[in-house]
Amino acid sequence: MELVLFRHNRPGRMTSFDEYRADGGFNALTRALGELSPNDVQQAVIDSGLRGRGGAGFPTGRKWSFVPRDLPGPRYLICNSDEMEPGTYKDRVLLEHNPWLLIEGMTLACYALGVNHAFIFIRRGYEQAAVNLRQGIAEARRAGLLGENILKSGFSLELDVHQSAGRYICGEETALINALEGIRANPRAKPPFPAIKGLWGQPTVVNNVETLSNVPAIIANGPAWWQGLAATPEAAGTKLFCISGHVANPECFELPLGTTLGEIIDGPCGGMRPGSRFKACIPGGASTPFFTHEHWDVAMDFDPVAKAGSRLGTGGIIVFDQSTCMVAVTLNLIRFFARESCGWCTPCREGLPFVRHILEKIENGSGEAGDIDILREHVHKLNYAFCALAPGAMGPLEGLLRLFEDEVREHIAKGACPFTTPNLCQN
Amino acid sequence: MPIYNPKFMPKLIIDDITVEVPEGTTVLEAAQSVDIPIPHFCWHPALGKAGACRVCAVKMLDGPVRGIQMSCMLPAQDGMVVSTTDPEAMAMRKGVIEWLMINHPHDCPVCDEGGECQLQDFTIAGGHGIRRYDGKKRTHTNQYLGEFIAHEMNRCIQCYRCVRFYQGYAGGTDFGVMGRASMVYFGRQQEGPLDSPFSGNLVDICPTGVFTDKTARFRARYWDYDLAASVCPHCSLGCNITPAARYRELLKVIARRNDAVNGWFICDRGRFANAAVNAPERPRQALVDGKPVTVNEALDVLVLRVGEFLELHGPASLAIVGSPRMSLEGNIMAARLCKLLDAGALSYVGDAVQAERTMGAVSLLASGNAASLADVRQADLIVVAGCDLLEEAPMMALAARQAHRNGARVFVVGDECALDGARQELYESQAVTSLSDIPLTEAKRPVVICGTHPKRPDTAPLMAPLFGKKGLQTPVKFAFILDGPNAFGCALLGREHDAVPLSQAFAGGAIKGLISFEADLPAELTAGITVLAATDWQPTGLMQRAEVVLPCTAWVEQDGTFINNEGRAQRFKQVMRPGLPIKGLDPAGHPPRIHRNDAPGGDVAPSDRVIAMLIQRITGDTPVDGPLSGRWEGLRSLDADGEGKRLTDAA
Repeated sequence: MELVLFRHNRPGRMTSFDEYRADGGFNALTRALGELSPNDVQQAVIDSGLRGRGGAGFPTGRKWSFVPRDLPGPRYLICNSDEMEPGTYKDRVLLEHNPWLLIEGMTLACYALGVNHAFIFIRRGYEQAAVNLRQGIAEARRAGLLGENILKSGFSLELDVHQSAGRYICGEETALINALEGIRANPRAKPPFPAIKGLWGQPTVVNNVETLSNVPAIIANGPAWWQGLAATPEAAGTKLFCISGHVANPECFELPLGTTLGEIIDGPCGGMRPGSRFKACIPGGASTPFFTHEHWDVAMDFDPVAKAGSRLGTGGIIVFDQSTCMVAVTLNLIRFFARESCGWCTPCREGLPFVRHILEKIENGSGEAGDIDILREHVHKLNYAFCALAPGAMGPLEGLLRLFEDEVREHIAKGACPFTTPNLCQN
Repeated sequence: MPIYNPKFMPKLIIDDITVEVPEGTTVLEAAQSVDIPIPHFCWHPALGKAGACRVCAVKMLDGPVRGIQMSCMLPAQDGMVVSTTDPEAMAMRKGVIEWLMINHPHDCPVCDEGGECQLQDFTIAGGHGIRRYDGKKRTHTNQYLGEFIAHEMNRCIQCYRCVRFYQGYAGGTDFGVMGRASMVYFGRQQEGPLDSPFSGNLVDICPTGVFTDKTARFRARYWDYDLAASVCPHCSLGCNITPAARYRELLKVIARRNDAVNGWFICDRGRFANAAVNAPERPRQALVDGKPVTVNEALDVLVLRVGEFLELHGPASLAIVGSPRMSLEGNIMAARLCKLLDAGALSYVGDAVQAERTMGAVSLLASGNAASLADVRQADLIVVAGCDLLEEAPMMALAARQAHRNGARVFVVGDECALDGARQELYESQAVTSLSDIPLTEAKRPVVICGTHPKRPDTAPLMAPLFGKKGLQTPVKFAFILDGPNAFGCALLGREHDAVPLSQAFAGGAIKGLISFEADLPAELTAGITVLAATDWQPTGLMQRAEVVLPCTAWVEQDGTFINNEGRAQRFKQVMRPGLPIKGLDPAGHPPRIHRNDAPGGDVAPSDRVIAMLIQRITGDTPVDGPLSGRWEGLRSLDADGEGKRLTDAA
């Protein structure tokens, strides 16, 4: 099958500038700056059906089209590389092998948006990726592909890498903008949306690494070609799926969007580990409700996954076998979210520790029947938090109560966790 | 800062009541406007929305948005149908209270905020009574924040009001929010006194007991206080306050809302610099030649001595001295006394330069061109000249900051622009040497702020060309910083009664004696002058020198009127009865063994009353008209809870 994002990868190291160029790298940029108008580039992205790969799946071209081009002052593009969703490591793999796609993709996006200064906001721990990006930006600048008057087109772009001080909330686009401005990483109220009023009060687009890295292929080969890479007619393009957990071969794979869950696990993942049977998985990063065996044939694409009661999210799949206690899994995730709450709004700041406390009680065998009602109440009320962190955190809990209520009740009835395997939730 | 547009009036229905509000009004405010209370912690009218606490949840039954929404975040729109009593909304609000109470200590009985605590009120109102969380509570360490504000972080409900006020509204940099998740901490990087001269507002703005007034801690509950609407006497701005007293002791001062003047806040001087009211050295006993007498005896002696003085030296050698810190009523009566005795001089101000500048400022102001603090907050261009705002009128600096935050440009004019200490901390400003460097024609709401302090350069000539200046979009408004809470009133009276500055009165050598009322005069000015009598509640040098000492009430112990720097007359009401605070009494003498009707040290009257008694004695027993008669008649009905009354005929 045709690869887009991993096409240029060399095993165990970063693809060099020359290798990338030899593979046709930066041809899309050269073509766009020579032949296409900014609007053509945006239209191609709209036509391709590219949807945001950071988790929400919002159509990228439409997001770009919201940016007013007639406001005074600069516009900004920010690449969100603050990949902190547990179970998700696709951007890391991508950037450690190939920063060029992002650099070229961002340059194309900036050309389309009329942006002259863009930022890559990268997770603190992604040290190697940041090194790659800085090195890549320097080399691209030397080659005249960044900086003043790129390829003598009159278009100029400064690209800066900003390493995050590190918190999960920095992945929320408005909190990210605050962090980039040097203030506390609390989300901002919306509206106004960043597309209208973002970084330093100017129109700003925030896109994920993988999203932007797809743009060169769309421009180079056309939207129709790119769209056709997907596994189903409804889906568009390829997707990085990063798998972890009880499979034989947990790795990050580039697969056609719309590949079914079963095909991913049985195919590139090499099935379950010896002795393991598939019990459940998190389909798209820590904030998505569980899938069980009944979802085996769900096409891993935004809409089918949503229809099946979960979210495609980031494509970070965590697979659990029969020995896994789902209460412990959920507790582990809730612990993460409770810790990573920014502390701005009450439901998230106080509600998540409440949920954590109750799950701890249930897992430790001191849960009570009424606790399930309290958990259900929280699944509902945390929807009314300030940003998407708390509703996201309720994803796995909602899945637990919908799909594994019996298991929760078993904990309460027995007064102990029925699973004998080492507890996953050791802090 | 919320901005309302009264040109468009969306109409919505809240709990079956149709409400019409200016565009930009939130659903929460729209509900408040028809007396439907919606609980709120993070939202504050002066700080705007935050969306942090989530306790103002309502259900939108119809209209552009549906379902549970935060009423503080939602601008009122046409066609909205809002329910505050919907079971789902009530369950959400109750849930928020439950979350907040997970970690809030159940220490209301020993918390100084108890009884005046928004969290307490809304917890009870929200119906949260049974605790379902049985884990441990989160605890924090507290910080020493100086001598005025106590810090008790365990009580924090993370509404972020304190930091939004301290950093955003007031420009402070030494206090902020740290930590994350359920360990969010509001404090300083290191323990130490808060730097901001507006830090005391943390006490008012905190919806629970994290910040309490250390000077008044554990002295009384809210329902024990004697409270009344009052006006701050510490500078010429006339910020509205609510002093709280108990057992004849002024315990603390709380900011009182007046949207035309101070808004919601006051400065720390107004809040914390009031110990003089309770001071043991405060004069409370009438004296004649140093010997204690009753007030009546003192007045009798004074009448005799004034008679002797007039006979010996003639009326032209007597000066009657009022003061810009005395009520308008007192100063009116001082003028009347002067007329009655045909005294040689009536004086309200000691320094001739100060008097001239104040008079100049007052004569320039008319109702149309005087800038209130509200005008300053809404200005789009501000010029500051010849004053140190943080020192002379701190709330003016805070008002200028609000304008600056909303985009106003601030210019500081003159050679001594470095004077204005606020310009570094509260607003960025541009130093210019002349008015021509200021783009006044671009401004829609220009305000000029001028000082009148005699030690500073005279800015009036600089500003003179701006009065009635042509070619501007809007005429410039002016704010002058005067030298006392009633300096404007004294200037009006001075013009009416041909008062002279005392230094000028003394210059000819004709004046031999004076009677002073609440006057602060430098010792060198009055050297060699007989002080026949002095009336004051503060132990001034004049009081020590006076032959007859007549103590009077402090402003919190009487009704009165101050006219602030913009010519706004504001009424203040009596908060407490005068007398020695019970706290300071000799324990052996309390409770009192001998029954008496008056409080010890309580035989004092407001200075206007003292003068009236004096006049009555001089003229025989004819009743004396109250001070607010004649041209002041219109101020009699002034409501202390209102916005005050601009004296439109000022100029």
